[in-house]
This record gives sequence, structure tokens and C-alpha cells, in this order.
Amino acid sequence: MALILLVPILFPFVIALIAKRNASRTWVIPALVLELLLVIGCAFTRGSVVIPCIYGTQIVLVNDGLGILFSVLFTAMFLLAGIFGFEYLHEKINTYHVFYLSTLGAMVGLCYAGNLLTYYMFYETMTLCSFPLILHEGTERSRSAAMKYLGYSLFGAALALFGFFVVYSQTGGATFVPGGYADGNVSGLMLAAALCMIIGFGGKAGMIPLQDWLPTAHPEAPAPASAVLSGVITKSGVLGIIRVVYYLFGVNALAGTYVQNTVLILALTTIFCGSMLAYKEKVLKKRLAYSTVSQVSYVIFGLMLFNSLGFTGALMQAVFHAVSKVCLFLAAGAIICKTGKTRVDQMVGIGKVMPLTLFCFACAGLSLVGIPPFSGFVSKWYLAEGSLSAFPAAGWIGAAVLLISAMLTAGYLLGPVSKGFFHEPDPETESVRCGWYIKLPLVILAFATLLFGVFPGQIHQLVAGVFAGLL
Amino acid sequence: MTIVADNFIGLPVLVLLPIIGGIVCWMFGRTGEIRKQEFLCRTRSAVCILTVLAEWLITVFLIRSRGAGLQFMFPNLFGLGIGFELDGLRWILCLITTTVWFAVAVYGLDIHRSDTKKNRFDLYFLICEGATIGVFLAADLYTMLIFFEMMSMSSWVLVAHDETRDSWYAADSYLAYAVIGGLVTLMGLFLLYHLFGTVRISEIRALAAACPDRKLLYIAGALATVGFCIKSGMWPLHTWLPPSYTMAPTTATTLLSSVLSKTGVFGLAVILSQIFAGDRNVGFLVLALALITMVVGAVLGIFSTNIKRTLACSSISQIGFVLTGLATCLLLREENAFAAHGMVLHLMNHSLFKLVLFLSAGAVIMNITDGEYNAVRGFGRNKPLLIFGMLMGLWGLAGIPGGSGYISKTLLHESIVETIHLFESGGGPAFWMHVTEWVFLISGGCTFAYMTTLFVCVCVDRNEDPDVQAVYDRMKGKWCRLPSAVIIGLFALLIPVLGCAPFLMEALASFSDPFFAVSTVHPVHYLSFEILKGSMISILTGVVIYFLIVRRCLIRGGIYTDRWPASVDLEKNVYRPLLLHILPFAGSFLARSIATLPELIRIGFCRLLYSNNNNGVVIPGEDEYFSSYKTQEEADESFSTTLGTSLLLISIGMVIILVFLFLQ
Repeated sequence: MALILLVPILFPFVIALIAKRNASRTWVIPALVLELLLVIGCAFTRGSVVIPCIYGTQIVLVNDGLGILFSVLFTAMFLLAGIFGFEYLHEKINTYHVFYLSTLGAMVGLCYAGNLLTYYMFYETMTLCSFPLILHEGTERSRSAAMKYLGYSLFGAALALFGFFVVYSQTGGATFVPGGYADGNVSGLMLAAALCMIIGFGGKAGMIPLQDWLPTAHPEAPAPASAVLSGVITKSGVLGIIRVVYYLFGVNALAGTYVQNTVLILALTTIFCGSMLAYKEKVLKKRLAYSTVSQVSYVIFGLMLFNSLGFTGALMQAVFHAVSKVCLFLAAGAIICKTGKTRVDQMVGIGKVMPLTLFCFACAGLSLVGIPPFSGFVSKWYLAEGSLSAFPAAGWIGAAVLLISAMLTAGYLLGPVSKGFFHEPDPETESVRCGWYIKLPLVILAFATLLFGVFPGQIHQLVAGVFAGLL
Repeated sequence: MTIVADNFIGLPVLVLLPIIGGIVCWMFGRTGEIRKQEFLCRTRSAVCILTVLAEWLITVFLIRSRGAGLQFMFPNLFGLGIGFELDGLRWILCLITTTVWFAVAVYGLDIHRSDTKKNRFDLYFLICEGATIGVFLAADLYTMLIFFEMMSMSSWVLVAHDETRDSWYAADSYLAYAVIGGLVTLMGLFLLYHLFGTVRISEIRALAAACPDRKLLYIAGALATVGFCIKSGMWPLHTWLPPSYTMAPTTATTLLSSVLSKTGVFGLAVILSQIFAGDRNVGFLVLALALITMVVGAVLGIFSTNIKRTLACSSISQIGFVLTGLATCLLLREENAFAAHGMVLHLMNHSLFKLVLFLSAGAVIMNITDGEYNAVRGFGRNKPLLIFGMLMGLWGLAGIPGGSGYISKTLLHESIVETIHLFESGGGPAFWMHVTEWVFLISGGCTFAYMTTLFVCVCVDRNEDPDVQAVYDRMKGKWCRLPSAVIIGLFALLIPVLGCAPFLMEALASFSDPFFAVSTVHPVHYLSFEILKGSMISILTGVVIYFLIVRRCLIRGGIYTDRWPASVDLEKNVYRPLLLHILPFAGSFLARSIATLPELIRIGFCRLLYSNNNNGVVIPGEDEYFSSYKTQEEADESFSTTLGTSLLLISIGMVIILVFLFLQ
């Protein structure tokens, strides 16, 4: 299992030391493919690694169902965005790939973390490794955005750390146990710690009140980096919340408390605000960033419902959102890279110039809105049903917010599609050709949104298995 | 994947064949476009025709097995699993669908012959067929919604096909209505599924009858019907319909009017007749909406000065007639034979009439690229086939004896009369049913009036400009090709043939008996005076309206004038401002306030700790131009500011931890 971590940690050094200038792609593809194979291979084994650390603490790596699901998802998305990057990036390629691979390494570690200390360690590593990805362009704005990202992330992590100390002092351990520690009655301090941790990790997932870094950082990063930032790295916050809620405190400890209600309200507010702001936003990548703010909060909402339907919907939404959002960001990146257009109102007629790209954008967009046969529909069905069955009296509010958000999503994603396909482009727009490095990931991702929508059975079984282990 | 034992593979084939056919078509066409090879494009057209023909043949062969309870389940697809089943009503609807699609595909060869975007059109044309069949065959509401959404999305591409300014407007309305309607229906299904634990159509009737929470059931039902109301064009959700029908290519309009509106009616029929079977409150509500729809459509039709728009408004009105049947079906409870039969037959008839009328109108528009009355005037003179098509359309639609519309309208009328009798004998608001009867007859008159206007304009009048008339006269025999002519002629011929064979139509209508739980059927004497009277009143009203209103007020100095006040436009003056300006403004104001709240706290905190020369203007991070007179560079937060803030945030976090550790 340690091998999994070795690959993305070793290869960056190889690239940094050996690879010639801008020649790192010969190393990146093998590294990413090898990592994907290892992660998939790891799914068929069970085991854990324990590394002793100072003061009797331990670094623990375990591969459970949840970790496998997320690690396969993360690696696959990194691979596709990595391929896209070959055509998109033109300078400082080696530096970029070094940090790109290290980020992946930290994220895979995150998935397999067996206790809170390990999780926290990899979480901070991930933040620090992804920081240079935003910094990549090197402009004043990107430096500013990167600092903002760092500040928000570390503040969130500090909140999580606070929770860690509380849990450690109260229970004497912070190992992730399915079902959690607490058996019903928890002290007020523990509840406060839980809230802090959820808000802290929620900051990474773009939940209000720590959502403000996303619309600043995502547009500044190069497209493949913003794709993984938005589609994948936000999910590390989600994973953190799952670990805290379901593996540390336990559903029984939090059900019906103010923690659950506060987070549910925060998540619903975020869902609405994110969609509304995205609807009003004119810069395409910022619009997608706000869309992430909204969509990832669907996941948090589902997780905090504490029932099987909500949990299933949430994890499916996490997977489907990753696929769709990476696809959207890559499509936006392709448009920016080939035509230099960044604003939505400039994208008129873009479908005549780049039909395949906009078609993939449309598929991913329909998936996010929740139009069948695309995948988002399935996850939203489970989320709404979860909301109704968790709160028979007030559950309709959750479902209604999901729907209003879906309408806004349609407004901000299908508008550009309609204008792109059915309007004539500017006469100045030159015809462009996208290479296979751009087309291949887009087509795979767009096809995946359809495939997951029609055949969600496998993912559903996997997620249901994870939830069954938690009770 | 496990498969249920009594599965019949024909049903999914019926749904998937056009979708696969469409993709194959597109591949041929795309390759042909890239390599500039004409024969590949021809192959595409051939594949398209063959696919729709195969669909039609499969449907026709299924007639024997319509009562056998055929079904097919995919338990794992789309999460909940989807299922198809076939019964008499569904078979009729599938027959309508495949027939119309075949007719339109053949006709499309002609009308789209110089269309550069035919490839895209064929792809979505075929996907739309598969999705529509999926809606009609759906065994549960979940499957229905999935295919309903697919149908809406693929037909959206067809509506936007022409890519003109007007078609953008129409397509935007269409998409907005489709998305919002689909999502509201989805909300209804959430609630229904939550209430029942299943949305299987054959099971919900019993479950709904036993449901204790009537209030929630009403809310769920109301939400679930919204999408279907929209698709059927029910008032007040009809405003998308006239622009979409007018601006879409005629082939797409024909599909929208003849088939897609029926998916809405079918959805309504499923929800209302299964969940609210015999519920009078719902019955009255639907009746009121149906009557308003009927009248609004008819009045709009009289005022219209464009042939496609007239036919579009006529669709609204006719759907009102069909929904009246649905409403009386609910009001009559067990005695619903007339209502159910009238509804099914009128639905079928409307498809047939609109097929003939739109294809004829499309042929006119194809030749002169304009549908305004003043332009098309006199085009049909000396063109017997066009006159025949238009006349049969008029004959059927106006419910004149001898046309098939007479049969269905008579049945609908009888159902209203029966309701009056029922209410008079058993207590109930019989007065309102008398009003209903009169509204029904007068709307029939309006139908006669606007169809006469259309017919007289195209086929009787001479054009104002003699030169133009001469050009039109020279087009004799050249205005459409043989395949299209055969299609128009055949279907036009069907109208009187069916009209003279009521037994055939009643046999068809009785296919739907199990669905509507029809028990006893009384014979109707279509030629008795009592029954002819209704039709006579309608025609008389129509003649009066035509001569008093149309000829005297709407035709000024020999020119058809649009006298509809522009300010009476529900969409332009209410819906669009509300949805595009008022609600987004309020929503984004709220969202911005919430989203900048943490930022405001941060800034306030910063100012508490260190003074800065920032003039305190809060710029929402998401809008770089928001109330800001600064240039972009100045407005950006500088590196040092964010560095400072970030360090501050980090140290706050650390301080919290330290304080906690000290307190321990």
C-alpha cells in the first residue's frame, strides 16, 4: 500500500532532478497511469499500514470502501486533466508537473488516512502542494489569489485542528472507526468541536462562510489545475466531513443537535447563493467556480441528512460532480486556450467553431442541471428523497432549494450552450483545431456523465456498501 | 442485469431503435459533410426513412398484442430502474407518433432539401421519436419523466433550427418552459414517491385512494402536472406555444403540434385519471382551465394574421377541448365512457388534422418563405390538392358532420350533456355545466371562424398584387414534390373516410377502456336531430363571427390587419420581466448580501486591527464592475493585502488552538 504513496512522491523528484526542460510529460503519463493501476489494484486488497510517530501518535493508512472510491475518482480525474494539460500549458511545465503529482500524492494519502492526525497531515500537504498550481501564471492577480487560497485553507485547517485537540483530549484517540466514538451523549465542547471541524473542512468544499477563495482562485489557475481544484480538491473537504461525522463523532452523537441543523442551513444557503451568484457572473471560469460552491454543498447537505438515501445521493453527487465539473473546466480551458475568450458574452457562436468542445460542455452542463439521461439526475433524486424522508415536515424545503438551484444552473450553463450553438460567431473568430490531448479527456468525461446516468448501479452498490458498514 | 420473466423485447427496441438510428444517420451525414460526398448524405436520408418506417411497422404489428399486458423492466437503469408497458391507449398514442414521424420524415426530404443543417436535424428528429415513444410506453412516472426530459431537450434543438432572431426568442422560451416545467414535475414526483414508495402507474390508483394525507397528495399532484400542462399548452402556461410553433421549421411544428402536445395530455391523463380518479374538486379545476384554454386559443386564432400562428393558436384551443373531456371524465366518475372516448378520439383527430394542415401550410411557406396572410393570399388558387388538404382540415377541425372531428366533438358534447343530467338528478352545480356547454359550442364556432379565415385567405381570395398572383398561378403543379403530395393527399382523405365510419373510430376509442376504467358504453346516433343541433349551433356561430368580426373588423381595405393589442402579451409583459429581472435581482441581492457577510466581518476586523488607506468600498468578489469606478488593476486586491489577510486568518486559527490548549 505504501507503494501507492511512493509513486506520486517519487516521480516529482525524478522530474525535478532528471527531466529536461519542458520534457516532463514523458514522466507524467507513466506516473499517473501507474498510480491509477495501483489504486485500482489496491481496491482488491484489504490491509493497513501503521507508522509510529512522535509522542505515541501514529500515522495509519487503511484502505476501506470510501477511500477506494475517492482515490480512484481522484486519480482518474488527475490523469484526464493531466493529459489535457499537455496541450494547454506552454511554460514552466516541469514545475507545474512536480506540484501536480505531489498534490495527487497527498490526496491519495488523504483517502487512505486511518486517523485524524494522518488526515490532517496530508490535508496540509495537499494545500501546500496545490498552492503553486494557482501561482503558476505568476501575475500579481494569481499571486494574490494563491495567497487567498492559502489563507482560507489554513484557517479552515486550523479550525479542524482545534477540533482534533478537543477530540484527542476527550477520547484519547482520533482513529477513524466506522460508526464513530460517541454513543449518544456528547458534551457541548465536543459538539462545538464538531461544528468547527465541519466548517473548517467545509471551507475547502466551498461552503459558506469560507467560500470566498473559490471564485478568486479558480479563474487564476491554469485550466487543468482549476479543473482539479474545483472537481477534485474540493472533495477532500467533503471527505474530511465524512470522516469527522461518520467515523469520529458518529451519526447518533450529532443527529438532531444544533450542529446538524446549522450545517444543513449553511449548506442550503450555499446551494442557493452559489447558483444565484453563478447566474449573475459573466466570466466563464468564475461562473463555474460559483457553480462548484453550489454543487459541492449538495454533497454536504446529503451527508448531513444522516440517512441512507441522503448518503447515497451525496456520494453519487460527489462522483458525478467531479466528472461534470472537470469536463466543464476543461471545455472552458479549451475555449480560452484556442480563442482567448474568457467572458460568457464573447462565447456567442463558439459551437460553430469548436462543436465537439461545446457539445461536451453541454453534456456536462445537462448533468449538473439534473436532466436525464445524464448522471446528475440520479444523485439529485436520491438527495431529494433523502431530504423528504429525513424530515417529513420540513424536507420539502431541501427539495425545493435543490430545484431552484437546478433552474438557476440551467440558466447559467444552458444559456451559453444555446448562444454557442444557434448563433453565428463573430466574423473575426478564426477556425481552430483542437488536438487529441484536448479532445480525448473531454470526450471521455462527457461520455462518463452519460454512462453514470444510465448505469449508476455499480456506484450505488459501492456507496450503499459503505453506508451499511457505518451503522 | 436481471430481467423480469414476462419481458417483451419489442418495447425497448421501439424506444432505442430511433435513437441508435439517429446516431448512425448523424455519422453518415457527418462523414459525408467532411469528405464532401453526396452519396453519404443520401444514405443518411435513407437510413432516417428506414428507421421511421421500421418503427411504424413494429407498432402496427403490435396491434394484436395490445391487450396482452406486454412489459419490459430494466431494474437497475437510472438508479430506480425503468419500465415499459403496452396497453390499448398507449398503442393508439404510439401509432399516432410513428405515423406522424413517418409522414414528416418523407415530407422533410422535400422541405429540407437545401438545408445545410439537415444532419443535426435528423439526429435530434430521431432521438425525439425514441424519447416520445418512451413517454408513451412508460410503465411508471419516473420513466415517463426521464423520456419527457429527453424529448423536451431534443425538440428544443428542432425549434431553434432556423437560427433567426425570432427563432432564438422562441427557442429560449421553449427551453425555459421545458426546464422549469420538467423540474417542477420532478418535485411533484419526489413527493409522490415519498407518499407511495412507488410511481408505477398501474399501482398508484389504489395507493392514492388509500392515501390519508389528501393535502400533500393535492400538492404533489399539482406539482407533478405542471410540466405536462406546459407541454400540452394549457392556459396560463401556453405562451411559449405560438412563437415556437410559428418559428420552428414546419416539420418540427408538425411534430410539436401533432405528437408532443399529446405527451402533455397523456401525462395529465395518467396523473389525473389514476391519482385523482373521480375527484370532483380536481375535475372542476381542470374544467375551468380547459375552458379558458379553449377560449383563449380560439380568440388568439381569430386575431392571428399568420397561417402557422393561427394553427398554433388552434392547437391551444383544441387541447382545451381534449382537456374538457378529461375533466368530464373525472366529474362523471363511473359513467365516463363518452368523455374518455371523446377525449381519445379528439386527441387522435387533432393529430391528424394538424398533420394535414401544417404540412399544407408548410408547403405554402416553403414556396414563398412567409406565412403572413397578406403574403400567402391567393396562393392556393388552382391548386386542387392544397385546397383539398386545407378544406379537409377545416372540415374536420370545425366539427362539421361527415368529418372525423364531428364524431369526437359530438362525444365530448355528449359527455357535457351527461354531466348536466347527472348534476340535475343527483345535485351539483348544473348551472355551470350549462355555461360549459355554451362555451364549448361557441368555441367550436370560433374554430369554424378562424379556419374559414385561413381557408378563404389561402384558397379563395386573390392576392392584392396581380403580379404576385400571376407568379402564384404559374406555380401550379410545381409547389410540392410527389412524396409530399401523396402524404398530404392520403392523410386528408382519411378525415372524411373516418368521419363516415364512426364504428371504426369507436372501436379504436374502446382500446383505451381499461386505462380509464370505462364500464358501459351507450351507442350514439350521430345523425339524430338532437345531436346535429350542437354542431349546427357551432357552425352558425362561426358564420356570424366570420362575417361580423373577421370580415368587418379584421380586414381593413382588403388587407388582413393584426388588431391584437401588443400590450396583452403575458410572456413579454409578465413572465419575462419577472423571471429575467425581478426575481434574479431579488435573489442575487440576497445571495450577495449573504456571501459578502463573512468578507465584511473580515474587513471590519482588519480595520479594527490596523488602519489602511483603503477607502472602505466593499467590492463583491464576484463582479469586477460592480458599482466600481476603479480600473481593473486598482480594483484587484493587491498581493500584500491578501498576504496580510491570510496571515491574519491563520494566526486567528492558531490563537484559538493555543487558548484551548492553555485552558486544558
